[in-house]
Amino acid sequence: MAESILKIENFTMHYMTKAGEVSAVDNVSLEIRKGESLGLVGESGCGKTSLAISIMKLLPENAVIKGGHIYFDGTDLVPLSEDEMRRFRWRRISMIFQAAMNSLNPVYRVSDQIIEAMETHFGNIDYSEAREKVANLFRLVGLDPKFMDQYPHEYSGGMRQRAVIAMALACEPDLIIADEPTTALDVIVQDNILRELKALQEKLGTTMIYISHDIAVIAEVSHRIGIMYAGKLVELADAEEIFHHPIHPYTAGLMSAFPSIIGPKRELVTIPGEPPDLLNPPSGCRFHPRCQYATEVCREKEPEFKDYGSGHMASCWNPLEG
Amino acid sequence: MEEKTKVITKPKVEVILEEEERKRLKEMPLWRVRLYLTWREIRNNWSLFSENKIGLVGLGIIIFYAIMAIAHPILMKWVWDPNIYDPIVGYSYDEVLQPAPPSFRHLLGTDPLGRDVLSQLMYSTRSEFALGILAAIITVTIGTTVGAVAAYFGGIIDTLLMRLADLIIMLPFVTILIVLSALFKMNLIILAIVIGILSGFGGTGIVIKSQALTIKVRAYIEAAKVSGGSNWHIIFRHIIPNLMPLSFLYMMFSVTSAIFSEAVLSFFGLLNIRMSWGLMIHTAQTAGYLLNPKTWWLIVPAGLSITLLCSAFYLVGRALDEIVNPRLRKR
Amino acid sequence: MLRYVLRRLGQIVITLFVFLTLVYFLLEAQPGDYAQTFLSNPKLTKEQREALKAQFGLDRPLWERYLRYMGSLLKGNLGISFEHYPRSVVSVIAERAPRTILLFLTAQILSFLLGFSAGKVLAWRRGQAFEYVLTIGGVTLYTVFTPWFGLMMIWIFAYILHLFPVGKFVTPTLWRGAPVDANYVFIRILLSAFVASLALFLVLLATRRLNLALRRGLRGAGVLIILAGLLAYWLPSGITRYALDILYHLILPVMTLTLINFAGMMLLTRNSMLETMREDFVMAARAKGLPEGVIRDKHVARNAMLPVITSFIFSIAFVLDGGVITETVFSWPGMGLTLLEAAVAQDIPMVMGGLVFTGTLALLGHLVADITYAYLDPRIRYT
Repeated sequence: MAESILKIENFTMHYMTKAGEVSAVDNVSLEIRKGESLGLVGESGCGKTSLAISIMKLLPENAVIKGGHIYFDGTDLVPLSEDEMRRFRWRRISMIFQAAMNSLNPVYRVSDQIIEAMETHFGNIDYSEAREKVANLFRLVGLDPKFMDQYPHEYSGGMRQRAVIAMALACEPDLIIADEPTTALDVIVQDNILRELKALQEKLGTTMIYISHDIAVIAEVSHRIGIMYAGKLVELADAEEIFHHPIHPYTAGLMSAFPSIIGPKRELVTIPGEPPDLLNPPSGCRFHPRCQYATEVCREKEPEFKDYGSGHMASCWNPLEG
Repeated sequence: MEEKTKVITKPKVEVILEEEERKRLKEMPLWRVRLYLTWREIRNNWSLFSENKIGLVGLGIIIFYAIMAIAHPILMKWVWDPNIYDPIVGYSYDEVLQPAPPSFRHLLGTDPLGRDVLSQLMYSTRSEFALGILAAIITVTIGTTVGAVAAYFGGIIDTLLMRLADLIIMLPFVTILIVLSALFKMNLIILAIVIGILSGFGGTGIVIKSQALTIKVRAYIEAAKVSGGSNWHIIFRHIIPNLMPLSFLYMMFSVTSAIFSEAVLSFFGLLNIRMSWGLMIHTAQTAGYLLNPKTWWLIVPAGLSITLLCSAFYLVGRALDEIVNPRLRKR
Repeated sequence: MLRYVLRRLGQIVITLFVFLTLVYFLLEAQPGDYAQTFLSNPKLTKEQREALKAQFGLDRPLWERYLRYMGSLLKGNLGISFEHYPRSVVSVIAERAPRTILLFLTAQILSFLLGFSAGKVLAWRRGQAFEYVLTIGGVTLYTVFTPWFGLMMIWIFAYILHLFPVGKFVTPTLWRGAPVDANYVFIRILLSAFVASLALFLVLLATRRLNLALRRGLRGAGVLIILAGLLAYWLPSGITRYALDILYHLILPVMTLTLINFAGMMLLTRNSMLETMREDFVMAARAKGLPEGVIRDKHVARNAMLPVITSFIFSIAFVLDGGVITETVFSWPGMGLTLLEAAVAQDIPMVMGGLVFTGTLALLGHLVADITYAYLDPRIRYT
């Protein structure tokens, strides 16, 4: 079994806002092995992006880490200072941002921006060598190197996405976090890019975390899937397991809310209610107000996140059978 | 959650109301409804405006000078002896040496011609206000019309108007005024008109045009067109009323600019007027007292007043900007 | 990029043409016959009167007069000044222009640099009281009555502190018996500043694509060489003390003009920086592990700069105006003061000449600023 590269233990992070303290990520624990791809799914505001930026400690000023550890390759990132974090950023862990269109600086050439990343982490590099590298990266992600010296606004949406992926690979990181890498693109381009990302990952052996609200996308590319709800990780298992044997009622709800093009027509079952206000999250299990299987204990105590066999984790007082 | 409903009145200005208000309004005749809505807008905007300390400071200064302007004729009629205190032809024969420093009789001293400085200051306030407001009204009238027309008709009219505006804003304003004053004799009214025309066809038009563009694409304009409204009808009854807040805002900045320009021109001695703050400084200069800090009362009150009144209108404008342009509001 | 420059150049030429036409019709629009004004100068001899009449076609129909006027403009003939008779308007302008250009350029560039840096720092470190003070200070400087402000500067720095001269642009005693005239020195100052800036710009451009250590080394060396070059030119030239005298008299007017204009730039930069900091690519830059300084300067400031440059373009007219006022208050004999004196004395040819000069300078400034903006923002090159 490959060793674990990222181990998050009881990580909690809150945002301090004018309205109060928002419990964005609460007591999340997960582990990823080298070369694995983990998909994080959840509704908007469930904390998946917050968790992602916490790993790189790119938190805004009003964010406070309340506790827990994030072990990357053995080192706990939580107590590290900005200066220390900078050595990890991009070189060991890089990120593909949501709406990547805007993560490129509009006034510099794309090649220069990628070289900038390389320069920062590899020190004094020869300029022409760096350009060679950029050209190779471009080919790797399916872009023609002749576009290398153009400006971001001269690229199409799909091209920009690929450029951003190339940039994320520039320093040969061990872990890449892809936050909704295809949400802003049309379906066909989305499909292509996903396929290519998956192929890249397998080829380079990079560990990946995919974040999306679209479970179809996640299913395509992940080995393991984690379901987040209201700042908590409610289920974590291999992709197959999640789909065929969901344990948490929320997961099951997500599965049935998803219409199927083939197969018999059935009524869409939606999950009633709305995601909770994280300023004042529900007591006990945060899903209980919307859960059809909720009982007394669900309202009173938070369920433990435990293993139900062969790495299938979930936190529920009334897990589903079968 | 309360339900909010939109009510569209003539002219097409969007207003959002609460449920109970709507019920009440249904009972009233239309003219009362409009009056009520206007009053509500004013009340809301005032509370927004007064949140901003800076705007209040500006308003305070304006009121201060307004009181000065009103107080002067009263003082002249009942308190002061016109032979001594008249700002233009008075002469103070109590002092031996003119210009005399501030004293009990002459709170701000006298100028080289023996006239009371405070009286001059208060007398000029009236013309400063008049000039500023007149110039601002002309600027904004022209600017709003230009902006609305350019936005609505587009095409060649738009290009022409915008090119003209570009030319005007590229050129130094005061320099042009200096040239104009050499060619034509200018008094306050002519100056106000000139400033109004130049500013109106210049920068103001451009800003208002961008706003007008956003209004032009709204649904009720389409509706008006479809129901057969003529172009001018749409411009004057629908687009322009929605531009009013922005226009009013720009009036503030126009007043600042107008007062400043007039002061500079009279400082240079190029204007055909009898008394103004700029002229007071000019008088000091021609009499040779300009660079002498000892006769500070000849320069400081006038200069300070110009600065204060200009800033006051500017500050009010900035505060209004936050109302008109919600993006600027502090959270 | 080249296409953009050519296009802008063409547009500016057309605008200049329209401007000159408007100037001419302004001349015509005067109450009374402008022709008479030109000719009524008692100092003109009969031959000169006839010559002027023929040259300007003063007894011809309107359209012909217009064409002749435009023609002489293109040939560089703006008429003969009344006040400075018998000097031509152009010769007066040639004498005064370098001074105004030096004042204008220095103040414009300084106010941009000062305003931009101050705004950058202000945005990067936040602080309630700090911001309040600076906003109030900024607004005050922005709306202060310029002549009064200039006077205050003179009072404080010249009279009370005795730091700077009260006015004028040279110390007459120093220049008595000088081998060269003031203009000579002015032009040399302008040229050496221009050449130095150009050289600096080229050095920066050439070292862009090298690796880090080499880049810094070469740029440092470049700056030293440029400085050495400047010293090598000025020190043995013998006119250094005259140049220094000019610069000494320049300090207070430049300070005045800069202070008035920089506040607007500073406030705008601050707001622009704050807005830019929220952009996604800034977060991406942080994610890339770039140091704080690099993020602030290369990423945030570089983008925040764009709206500031736009306002810089509009401020050209304000600085020119401010220059006229400053020259007057400081008795600094540049084009601004000349224009004013001409207006007071009703020296119409000189006034029109001054207008043409100022307008052309403004349009040129606009062109340069537009091109600079296009260089800085690659997105604009396609409009």
